[in-house]
Formats: sequence, C-alpha cells, structure tokens
Amino acid sequence: MGMAVGAGLCRMRMPATVSFMRDEQGAWEVWMVAAQAGDSAAYTAVLRACVPYLRGVARRRLREPASVEDAVQDTLLTIHRLRHTWDPERPLRPWLAAIADRRAIDVARREGRRNGREVELAPLAETLAAAPGEDGEAASAAHQLRVAIAELPESQRTALRLAKLENLPLAEAAAKSGLSVGALKVATHRAMARLRKRMGATDRGGGPDGDG
Amino acid sequence: MGTDDMIAQLAADLTPVRPVAPWRRTISWLLLAMALIAGMVAWHGFRPDLHERMLMPAEQVQWLASVIAGVLAALAAARMAEPGRSEAWALLPLPAVIVWLTGMGWGCLADIARIGPAALTLGTSWSCLGFIVGLGVPLLGILMFLLKDGASLRPGPVSALSGLAAAALCSAGLSLFHHLDAILMILVWHGMAVALVTGIGAVSGRLALAR
Repeated sequence: MGMAVGAGLCRMRMPATVSFMRDEQGAWEVWMVAAQAGDSAAYTAVLRACVPYLRGVARRRLREPASVEDAVQDTLLTIHRLRHTWDPERPLRPWLAAIADRRAIDVARREGRRNGREVELAPLAETLAAAPGEDGEAASAAHQLRVAIAELPESQRTALRLAKLENLPLAEAAAKSGLSVGALKVATHRAMARLRKRMGATDRGGGPDGDG
Repeated sequence: MGTDDMIAQLAADLTPVRPVAPWRRTISWLLLAMALIAGMVAWHGFRPDLHERMLMPAEQVQWLASVIAGVLAALAAARMAEPGRSEAWALLPLPAVIVWLTGMGWGCLADIARIGPAALTLGTSWSCLGFIVGLGVPLLGILMFLLKDGASLRPGPVSALSGLAAAALCSAGLSLFHHLDAILMILVWHGMAVALVTGIGAVSGRLALAR
C-alpha cells in the first residue's frame, strides 16, 4: 500500500486487509473501527494521519498558525469524546470535517471576543493630546470669545477692533470709524459689556444693551 | 502540550466503545412517545364524534400530516445528531408540516363557508396548550438526552427538531380525544403549542447540549 498516510506509519504493522486497499480513505476507516474496539496502535495511526486534514479544515476559518493548532487539538479531544458516534458504515472524512469545522468556529469566536475586549491605547492617547500651547479650557474660552465678538453689532465690533485690538489712539480710531470720539467710547463700552454678559461675567457697567 | 503528545495521551486513554446509531435510539423514543400518548387517549376516551370527523378527508389528511411530521422530525433530529451528515436533513419534516398547516387553513375556510364569520371567533383553549406542552416538554427532554452526544455539535437544530417531533405527536394524540370543532382554534392553539415546544427545544438545546 502506498505510504501516503504520513511519516512513520510505514514502520507500523498494518492489518492484512489494508494492504489490499488502494484507497487511502479506506485505511482510515479500518483503523478507526479497530480504535473503537480499543486498539491503541490503530488509534494513534488514524489520528496522526488525519491531523494534516484537520489543519486544512481549520485553516478555512482561522489564519494564525497558533489558532489553527488550538482548533486541531480541540478537535482531537472532541474526536476522542465522540468516537462512539461514528457509524462504521459511513466514510470517516465527513465526520472528522464536521467536528473540525465546529471547533474552528468556536476558536474563531473565542478570539473575536478577546480582541473585542482589548482596547488599543495608542490612537486614543493621540486623540486626547492637546494642541501645543493650549489646554482644553483655554481653547474653549477663546472659541467662545470669537463667537461672541462675531455676534456683536457691526458698529460695536468695529469700535472694539479699532480701539482695543489695534490699540489706536481714540482720536485716530474715531476718524477711521467715522464716529465721534464720544460715540466711539460708548460703542466700545457697550461692546465690552455685551461680551462680558455673553461670557457669563456680571455687567458692572450698567446701561442698556443695544445697538449703538 | 504538542499535538503528538496529545495523540499519545489519547491513545493511552483509549477504551473500547460500541458505536451507537442515533436512529436506533430515536425509534425507541418514538415507540415510547406513542405508547404514552396512546395511554393518555385511552384514559380520556376518544371524542364522541371521532368517527364522523375521521370520515372527513380534510381531517384525515391533516391528522396524518401531523403524525408524519412528528415521525420525520424525530428521524431528522437523529440524522442531525450524527456529525458529518448533511444539514439538508433538517428539512425532512417540512413538507408534512406544510401539508398540516395548509390543511388546517383550508379547514378554516371550509368552516367559514359553512357557518359564516362566526367560525373566526377565537376562544381560549389553555388545556390544549397545557397538554401539548405538558407532555411534549418531557418527551423533548428524553429525546435530547438520548441524542446528546452527537447533538453537541449542532445542539440547536437537533433539539428544535426534537421539540417539533414531540409536539406534533402530542397534537395528533390530542385531536383524538379533545373537543374542538373550530379549526381556527386548532390552528392557533395547537400551532402555538407546537411552536412553543420547538422554541423551547432550540433554546435549551444550545444551553444544555453545546460542548
């Protein structure tokens, strides 16, 4: 009989019937029947012979060699537990494949659950890192201020810009904005009051809020 | 532990086993189920109008379909409990179930034709549900126990089919002694009970037998 069934087996004494079998598949069935009857040598032979086949079935569902080997070992244990459920009249491969497939699915599920629980830390840390020179609170306040200024009426915004941001002398700012100095002062004052109110501080200046 | 070491370990642990064909156990279960159900029928006595009802071809077809569905579901469970058998075996009882349901649906229409919309009033029949579930669930448990080893790879389908088998046979038995004329009642109450026992099978199978 051809030595297609794996290394080391040619050293084993095979039952006479096997030598007449051309079909490798028949050899496994004969061994398994003997194993069901308690023959350890035949059991070892059939298990060793079918491990490559079991690996092949597991590889359809698993990629990592470690997982594949995991599944193959689970399969061997299940084969051992369920060896009485194989009907000797039936071919052995489908029975083996069903068990191997089931165990591979179980390994895949176990790993899926494990991976789902592990959190990748690096990307999360990068997400939380603040922009240089700015911590969260300051960034938020600056943003709020920008929004508040944008909401000011046009005249107040201009006044604020000229007087406070560009720091022009009042006379020059008035000339540029087309307002009188007095009007500019009022507009600036109102703008600040509005901003304070908007940003949540109390308004000590009093005076009506309105367009100027 | 390396795979080779494991093989050596298992070989050292080897004891002789006798191969068990699940279908043999299922036949035993069928005989047990029929004996129990026959016992319940004998205890309650046949319904007085059984003779007339069984003369109606629609009744015959429907009743036979439920019996056949039960038997085929049990055999399908046995096949599914053998690792390596095709998943298509699960469909074995399907034609009989379809005949059973359509038979009852047809009977509903006939009832409506006969006595008008009054046929559609649905009363309660908790005793129907109670009998099918009360006898069906223990029978389901027994079949699950008999098939448990092979079933461990496909516990859901094996147990669901076992539930269907148990419930269908109980439903057939119940029809022999229970007074229910309105086919809609049978359709709903037997149908619900069968679905319930099948569902109990599917869920408990996964919980109890998956290994």
